[in-house]
Amino acid sequence: MRAPEPPRPIEIGRANEHDVKIRWKDGAEAVYPARLLRLECPCANCVDELTGRKLIQEGVIAEDVHPAGIDPVGRYAIQIYWSDGHQTGIYTWERLYDLMRKL
Amino acid sequence: MVNQETVQDALRVVIDPDLRRDIVSLGFVQNLKVHADRVAFTLKLTTPACPVKDELRKQAEDAVRSIPGVEAVEVDMTAEVRPNPGAIGRAMLPGVKNIIPVASGKGGVGKSTVSANLAVALRQAGADVGLLDADVYGPSIPMIMGATERPMPSGGKIQPVVCHGVPVISSGFFVQPGQAVVWRGPMLAKMVEQLLAGVNWGELDYLVIDLPPGTGDVQLTLCQRIPLTGAVIVTTPQPVAVNIAEKAVAMFNQLKTPVLGVVENMSYWESSKTGEREFIFGAGGADRISLKWDFPVLGKVPLATTVRETSDGGRPIVLDEPESPAAVAFTECAQNLAAQVSIHNLKSETDDLVKITF
Ligand SMILES: Nc1ncnc2c1ncn2[C@@H]1O[C@H](COP(=O)(O)OP(=O)(O)OP(=O)(O)O)[C@@H](O)[C@H]1O
Ligand SMILES: [Mg+2]
Ligand SMILES: [Zn+2]
Repeated sequence: MRAPEPPRPIEIGRANEHDVKIRWKDGAEAVYPARLLRLECPCANCVDELTGRKLIQEGVIAEDVHPAGIDPVGRYAIQIYWSDGHQTGIYTWERLYDLMRKL
Repeated sequence: MVNQETVQDALRVVIDPDLRRDIVSLGFVQNLKVHADRVAFTLKLTTPACPVKDELRKQAEDAVRSIPGVEAVEVDMTAEVRPNPGAIGRAMLPGVKNIIPVASGKGGVGKSTVSANLAVALRQAGADVGLLDADVYGPSIPMIMGATERPMPSGGKIQPVVCHGVPVISSGFFVQPGQAVVWRGPMLAKMVEQLLAGVNWGELDYLVIDLPPGTGDVQLTLCQRIPLTGAVIVTTPQPVAVNIAEKAVAMFNQLKTPVLGVVENMSYWESSKTGEREFIFGAGGADRISLKWDFPVLGKVPLATTVRETSDGGRPIVLDEPESPAAVAFTECAQNLAAQVSIHNLKSETDDLVKITF
């Protein structure tokens, strides 16, 4: 039994100094503005685990927030180390792929 | 005239049945020397526990011997375990090539017994193996491995206790019995990270991890934080046990951790007098999930009093009674596991891995 082929990135790099560019296996390619990615952080501090309500307050997030580093997590996600010290968000391939619709 | 090329061409007919490629293109043939009618080379396999080691050697020898003009063939066997490509460059456990959690759905199916025997059997084959007891709720590895000493601090980290050639660390060394039951996710996650990154594991081909039963926070942390080569599922043949084992399989699938195979423990009982097998807990459980989820049965281990006795005595059965049916089964499980590790690593090497350049 095999699940349908999930989205898989081939390359995660820089679009410019701050923004993230992802190239997907299916040929899709997108630039994720750094601050938007930060606001979409899925961690328990930023999103209520039960209700899915956003807890993150847009006003307190710096305009120039950007990833300081990105690490792979297992085979299914990345962890982003943000310039503001936040680093608890695990961004799964599915989530990043779906985010393309919001760009 | 015999030369390097004729020998290489002859060796190309030898196919590794697990990796399904010829031993030349796999890079197994090394130090090839041809002196007139004499040929010598090294076969470097991807694991010392290769289940088809002897066959490969024989086939390679025969292939070269059949070249007209060759009188003598000398084959040297060696092995170098390939690392999980997903783990390369990760700072957390730089010396550990493959991390293999052993999981089950139900408790008491023999997960710890299997973990210990797998670790010792791989060690006996010549691999560098570590054993981590991450069952914070009921750590039993120190007893099974006969760990009488406590681990000592060394250079800011913990030095594992070496038992039967296997460095061992158990959550039981640090956590009081019953203490972890009330722990929440983040505490457990911290413990697991400490057991991995806070320990001087050194250079290991395989790090076997005995997990708690079920699908809790320890499992989740491992899959999310650590690049695992793949998991081993342990089950008994009963439908109930197998159904719960499937939940563990589903969890690994969801977390994109491969399942390397299933071990069916307490599979049958064999009469030592007649050799007849009795299927006390039913039959076919492991075969069923293996077919359904598309991973192999690594082996079937019989129910035997000596398995429990040797474990209770701190010397897993593969050590002192290697010829016993249970030990033979454990050794086979270890070899098949090693083969699966090689297969998965070769596959991920060739799969396009995500490149992160940020
Ligand atoms: N093949 C076997 N034959 C006989 N006894 C066995 C066999 N495998 C395991 N046992 C015994 O069964 C008991 C349970 O085994 P073990 O502790 O390895 O299971 P477990 O799955 O790790 O359990 P737990 O869920 O408590 O961690 C032990 O007493 C062990 O010695
Ligand atoms: Mg156990
Ligand atoms: Zn967050």
